Amino acid sequence: MQNERSSSPEKNQQHTQNKNEEKKNSEDWEKTFLKSKDFTKTNYINQKTGKPFTFVFMSTLVDEKILSNSVLPALLEEELYQLSDIKKLLPIPDVQLSTEKSEIEKKLFNGYVMLFLDNDKSLFAFIAAQKEVSRSVSAPEIEFSVVGPKEAFVESLRQNINMVRKRMPIKELVSEEFTLGSLSKTKISILHVEGITNDEIIQTVRQRIKNIEFDEIVDSSYIVQLISDNESSPFPQLLDTERPDRVAAILAEGKIAILVDGSPHALIGPTTLIEFFSSFEDYFLNWVLSSFFRLIRVFGVAFSILITPIYVAALTYHYELIPKDLLGTLINSRRVVPFPPILEALFLEITIELLREAGARLPTKVGQTIGIVGGIVLGTASVEAGLTSNVLLIFIALAALAAFTTPVYKMSNTIRLLRFPFLLMAELWGLLGITIAFCFLMTHLIRLTSLGHPFLEPLYPPRVQDLKDAFIRGSFKDLNRRPSYLRTKDPIRFSGEKSHKKKDIDE
Amino acid sequence: MRGQKLFLLLLSLMLLSGCVQKEVVDDVNIAVGIGLDKKDDQILGSVMIPVYKTDRSIENFTFTSKGTVTRDIIFQMSHKSSQPIVTGSLEVGLFGEEVAREGIIEFLDAFQRDPSVGARVYLAVVDGTASEIFKGNYGDRGNAIYLSGLIQQNTERGNMPLTNVHQFLFDFYQKGKDPFLPLLKKTQPDLVNIAGVALFKDEKVIDSIPTSKMFYFKLLVDEYSEGTIKIKADNKESVIKSLKSKYKFRLKKRSPYEFDIHINIDALVSEYTGRTVSKKVVKKIEKQLERQVASECTKLIKKFQEKNIDPIGLGHFAKTQTRGFDFTKWTEEYPNAEVKVSVDVSIAEVGVVE
Repeated sequence: MQNERSSSPEKNQQHTQNKNEEKKNSEDWEKTFLKSKDFTKTNYINQKTGKPFTFVFMSTLVDEKILSNSVLPALLEEELYQLSDIKKLLPIPDVQLSTEKSEIEKKLFNGYVMLFLDNDKSLFAFIAAQKEVSRSVSAPEIEFSVVGPKEAFVESLRQNINMVRKRMPIKELVSEEFTLGSLSKTKISILHVEGITNDEIIQTVRQRIKNIEFDEIVDSSYIVQLISDNESSPFPQLLDTERPDRVAAILAEGKIAILVDGSPHALIGPTTLIEFFSSFEDYFLNWVLSSFFRLIRVFGVAFSILITPIYVAALTYHYELIPKDLLGTLINSRRVVPFPPILEALFLEITIELLREAGARLPTKVGQTIGIVGGIVLGTASVEAGLTSNVLLIFIALAALAAFTTPVYKMSNTIRLLRFPFLLMAELWGLLGITIAFCFLMTHLIRLTSLGHPFLEPLYPPRVQDLKDAFIRGSFKDLNRRPSYLRTKDPIRFSGEKSHKKKDIDE
Repeated sequence: MRGQKLFLLLLSLMLLSGCVQKEVVDDVNIAVGIGLDKKDDQILGSVMIPVYKTDRSIENFTFTSKGTVTRDIIFQMSHKSSQPIVTGSLEVGLFGEEVAREGIIEFLDAFQRDPSVGARVYLAVVDGTASEIFKGNYGDRGNAIYLSGLIQQNTERGNMPLTNVHQFLFDFYQKGKDPFLPLLKKTQPDLVNIAGVALFKDEKVIDSIPTSKMFYFKLLVDEYSEGTIKIKADNKESVIKSLKSKYKFRLKKRSPYEFDIHINIDALVSEYTGRTVSKKVVKKIEKQLERQVASECTKLIKKFQEKNIDPIGLGHFAKTQTRGFDFTKWTEEYPNAEVKVSVDVSIAEVGVVE
């Protein structure tokens, strides 16, 4: 397959071979490659020794600047007698020699350039020349915080690990890498801190990730669904975050983080229900304030789930529970409405859901705001038309607002869904129905686990120590122990005694 | 597969076995007050239903019907009503004087048996007929709210001791204690007065206490009171507001029975017609009040003994202090029991006027 014209040392130009000839001479491994246009194969001749050599690479994956600036000059102008010489010649850190033909595909598609001397095709070298195409680091959009770092993960795994490592520059921060997906060959990295994180957790994650059978893993949310303890539960069992600072914080607590190449979200586990109601911004504010906001959020969630079912239950079955002064208001607003309370409530709930869904599909974030405002306008119109009562409209709007206080997007979706079974049970059996629905919810939550750890901890099983960072966020001085349910190897974060000492006076 | 079948079975059991009867709030007539009077040989029942107007005002509508028992009367009324009449939201139950004199416990059965009727519904005896009271228009929040507010307000801040269905039934079923209820009287077309306390012997009204004696009565039967009383000391009138009062029974002797009732009053002077309330005056007022309360309370108890009724529950108290208590013996001995009332008044405050 040598080209005669390129044999003279003076004319060391690049020669692309004739396609037909190439196909004829191509080896087995090349056959599928040749169908792709971006598969490139070029021949060169070393000026000093006259040795012909060939480059094979995917032009779309390789940074050609590296080739023309660092690789080619050395290979063409220095003395190249055999392939092992390139280790001396090339100013590139990642150069590997190999005889394994099975590695070719993997390396080429990871942005390596394959090099071999034309007289010995059994030995070849892989030179790293990956083209890094990724967007630059931007501010977090979902977990936005007013104070605190303004960095969010991007789609590049290397960049993401870089952001975590910068916050924890210790050798104990271990990053284990796996490649998953028979088609996507997605790189997945498990981060944990050695000496803190319980081995069982790491082993569980390792095992579950290894057992994944899937072809195309596009995002970290695929991984959540694939390795969840209970995949049919509406509750997410791994917390996803786009904040590298949060990942660093939970690693220090003894949890693990899973990063997936191509996904700007890290997964955190094991997690608890309470963690879904804590925004990372809580840790940037004074503990009194953040505790108050957490309680507001918990109240908001309870309100959001329960207010419409209670309205339906009270108006359908329990008129005797309604205070006399409120009775007039309720009856007046209900009198013109032709539907029973359940239809009225469903009508408004579904309107809000439609608006929210439409808002999410609108291109800008403004769309969402307009959607909600539109909802209230629509609601007011439906009150005036006598389709719904205005008391319920207020409740629904408040419930929708309260659901937005949940800091984790996936959890607010769960809350959206949870309202409907409660509503139906309220219609069926009134407050008794709500109680039964609540029993089912509680049973489900008690049975739920996250990477084998109880999801409802520290409420059940009760762990008093972990309550310090649950509904309230204790002060940093009191948070000197790692969460007990994680069974960390080193449960003490720092000396609580020392941190409580005041050092006002120099002795 | 088996789980699925079980689930489907449970689901169909849940959905097909029928639901609870719905009572949508605007599709029912919510009875808030019920009144029972005697008419001919039957009972004339009236049920008060608020009509919520679109301008947010409340009108009163009354269904009346004749019958013999409460539930039957309400059932008779539903023949006239476009929406079912529901009784879960009752506020007051009124009994005409004639009914009350013949006994009310059979009508109260409907209140006890229905779990949706609260135990804190107010009951009252009407000097006159209940239907007459229902005819008026009181206040702007509906008649029932007015009537229950009238009793509640006077219980919390006035001289009315606490009464409601629960209290009445407790007193009724408690041996050695007789119930009592507020006595209402319509004085003006748009006002109802508290005219005193109706005293029961078992289930029948046999006597009443006028408003002027209610302060003393409350001292004897209610632990906490905020009543007011006017007393005359040194030819000057002063109004005393009782902040707190407590009573304590003591059984001193058994045959014949001898009781000691000690009443402790912490009070304040809210009005005094003289000039300054010096310490001397305070002492005088205290002494005068002690004397007055003691004598009035003794008079009340004497009256109870004459009528052989026991609203303050001396019999019940004696029972708690005696092993093998014999009630038949007690009923004979009660009129002759000796009851001593001792009072301790301390005036804590005389106001800011110097």
